Amino acid sequence: MGRPISEPLSDIIARHWDAIVIGTGIGGGVAGRALAEAGLSVLFLEQGRAGLRAEETGLDIGMADPVARAVRGLWPDPVEAEVNGQSQSFFAPLGSGLGGSSVFYAATLERPELHDLDDSPERPHPTGGWPVSYAAMQPWLDAATGLFALHGEPDPLSDIPCPALSTPPPPQPGDAMIMAQLAANGLNPYRLHTALRYLDGCAECLGHKCPRACKMDGRSAGVEPALATGNAALLTDCTVTRLGRDGPVITQVTARKGGDEITLKARHVVLAAGALSSPRLLLASTSEADPTGIGNARDLVGRNLMFHLNEVFALWPGRAAGFAGPSKSVGFRDLYFAESQRLGMVQAMGVDVGYGEIVHHLRGQVERSWLRHIPGAKDATRIPAAIGARLMGQAKVFVGLLEDLPYGENRVTHDPAHPGRIAMTYRTAPELLARRKIFRRLIRRAFRGQRTAFLTHRPEPNFGHPCGTLAMGRDPAKSVLDAKCRPHGMTNLWVTDASVFPTSMGVNPSLTIAANALRVAAILKDEK
Amino acid sequence: MNALTDGCAIVTGAGSGLGRALALALAPHMQVAGLGRRIDALEETEALAGGNFLPLQADVTDPAQVAQAFDIARNIAPITVLINNAAIYPRRDFLDETAASFMDTVGINLGGMVTCTRAALSDMTATGFGRILNVATFADLHPLPASSAYSVSKGAARIFTRALIADIGDRFPGIVVNDWMPGMLATDMGIADGLDPAVAARWGAKLALWHDASLTGTTWEMGAEIPPARSLKRRIADRVLLRPRAKPRQL
Repeated sequence: MGRPISEPLSDIIARHWDAIVIGTGIGGGVAGRALAEAGLSVLFLEQGRAGLRAEETGLDIGMADPVARAVRGLWPDPVEAEVNGQSQSFFAPLGSGLGGSSVFYAATLERPELHDLDDSPERPHPTGGWPVSYAAMQPWLDAATGLFALHGEPDPLSDIPCPALSTPPPPQPGDAMIMAQLAANGLNPYRLHTALRYLDGCAECLGHKCPRACKMDGRSAGVEPALATGNAALLTDCTVTRLGRDGPVITQVTARKGGDEITLKARHVVLAAGALSSPRLLLASTSEADPTGIGNARDLVGRNLMFHLNEVFALWPGRAAGFAGPSKSVGFRDLYFAESQRLGMVQAMGVDVGYGEIVHHLRGQVERSWLRHIPGAKDATRIPAAIGARLMGQAKVFVGLLEDLPYGENRVTHDPAHPGRIAMTYRTAPELLARRKIFRRLIRRAFRGQRTAFLTHRPEPNFGHPCGTLAMGRDPAKSVLDAKCRPHGMTNLWVTDASVFPTSMGVNPSLTIAANALRVAAILKDEK
Repeated sequence: MNALTDGCAIVTGAGSGLGRALALALAPHMQVAGLGRRIDALEETEALAGGNFLPLQADVTDPAQVAQAFDIARNIAPITVLINNAAIYPRRDFLDETAASFMDTVGINLGGMVTCTRAALSDMTATGFGRILNVATFADLHPLPASSAYSVSKGAARIFTRALIADIGDRFPGIVVNDWMPGMLATDMGIADGLDPAVAARWGAKLALWHDASLTGTTWEMGAEIPPARSLKRRIADRVLLRPRAKPRQL
């Protein structure tokens, strides 16, 4: 692991960088690494802290103090959201520190399907297709598979080869048994593609920070190798507040660092603050030329916000089955596209459900219902939970990721009075609810004869999977970015996070973010 | 770093009583650095240890002296174990205390622990691995007469253990932190017919060399774990749900 260049701040400010990368999650980390390895001078800007490398902090959505959250690399403040007309304020599963959200993730990097990107008569694409075809993206998906040391099995339902995929260690007994059970139900399970190097003593740090460069994330597969080249530097505690442009060129990056405003300069700017924040920066970058922000002449910046709907369900194999340990790394794609509908893949969540989890879940249910006004209702959930846990033993929890589609009214908003605040408006479209019904019916049918229970009842957007807010496209009237992920008409501003996705796909976004970041970096480094 | 014993253990107040006994109990297993105010007392501990013991004269209330001592210790090996043992117990009626004399006791019993813990965490947070054992008492529960500064400082020290865990427990599960009550000892600070400190130190050393994340936040008295107090509601709920009672662990 390399040592960060410790240049004095004045030198960093005085330098004219080849590229400034805003954000150190997967999109920023991977793009910055590729550029630094190509010999460009790269400056990473990270709003959060560097943190200590040996930390094993988990993603805690119960911790509320903004200082305690920032220290841990969690997004410090609640997200303000209007969901289906209801105002909510909650802590989203988002990181804010070196590596962004990815240091906490479960490291599941799944490949999209052909129809996620391409339009075809059999599977028409809702936007007419991404401006980058699957065939054009495939070499970058392969490259990202290698860069993230993905271990797993090819999807038995797919005939697209995964040459860079490594063989995982033998499955744990729990995984082996769940695979057998799924296969017995006629499904086609496989070992998920996991970004773990399985170093000696690997503790499979899924859902929390990995103390070594074993779990591959924006930090270990991005920023750290970039710094090791000697071509990159990192500024943490540095919040970018606006971009300044002159014609098609971004000329300066304005940021707050330790209470001071600083101005930084580079030939290229890579924006990768995440799909909830990248659009906010463009919206905040107003000027005479851009009264509503950079790239926003058609009022598209921040719109088309998508999440996945998480359909979480528990499967009770029965006490007699004697499963050892939670199932972590199993998934299947039998329902990915079914009944002519874009649905999504199903994955084990890596948790067992016992008494405590059932109580937690039921309490959440009560909190969201009219019962919350009744004193003691929350505590009363202990009794059914205890009965449930005793009757059914430990359940395996699965999640179905239901693809979301772009709608202009679903959007990230920017409030100049609270520029650092993540705020959004989101509505579950009727067509999404209709597909959700089909998805749930098909899941239930897939497990016929098993004891299952959905743990999500109302539609639950996965706020950890935001995308689409700066979508790329061929038509400047309908998209923010061109196929090279630059705002239409601009020459040196590039976006490499999930903002660029025209659609949300039926898989976890990380692999596609990494692949696209590599693709964009390869184009960028050849630009003058 | 795979084992605590590959590093260096720091024992504060190692020139007498329980601190000396803890240093002697640890020295056969690993390098020990003993902090204390009196160098002659520390050298006596060194002679008794017959090796593996480094005397380091330092007043735990002085951050500069502590920093210097820790630097010497970590030059031998990274600090993997800290036993916060140094404490004083002045028998003094509160009307005979001045604010300054009261705070002197707080400075040693609480301040020394804070200073040494902060210094040890520089090593431990770099590796995510370490063991902190805080020698504690129940003096805060029912303060005795002529013990106000002791009771307050040792009570605050117990809160410090919990506050420390709130800050680092989730981030560094490999840094194991807990409280240990050695019992009533036959030391200068204890009672004449108390327990031989060497006997208590065998438990303390065993606990200090036990690296298990599940120990963090537990309280031990002599050689046994004290299970956390359960509320009446919890006890009834556990009984109704036929939940088996966890057996307290023994050393």
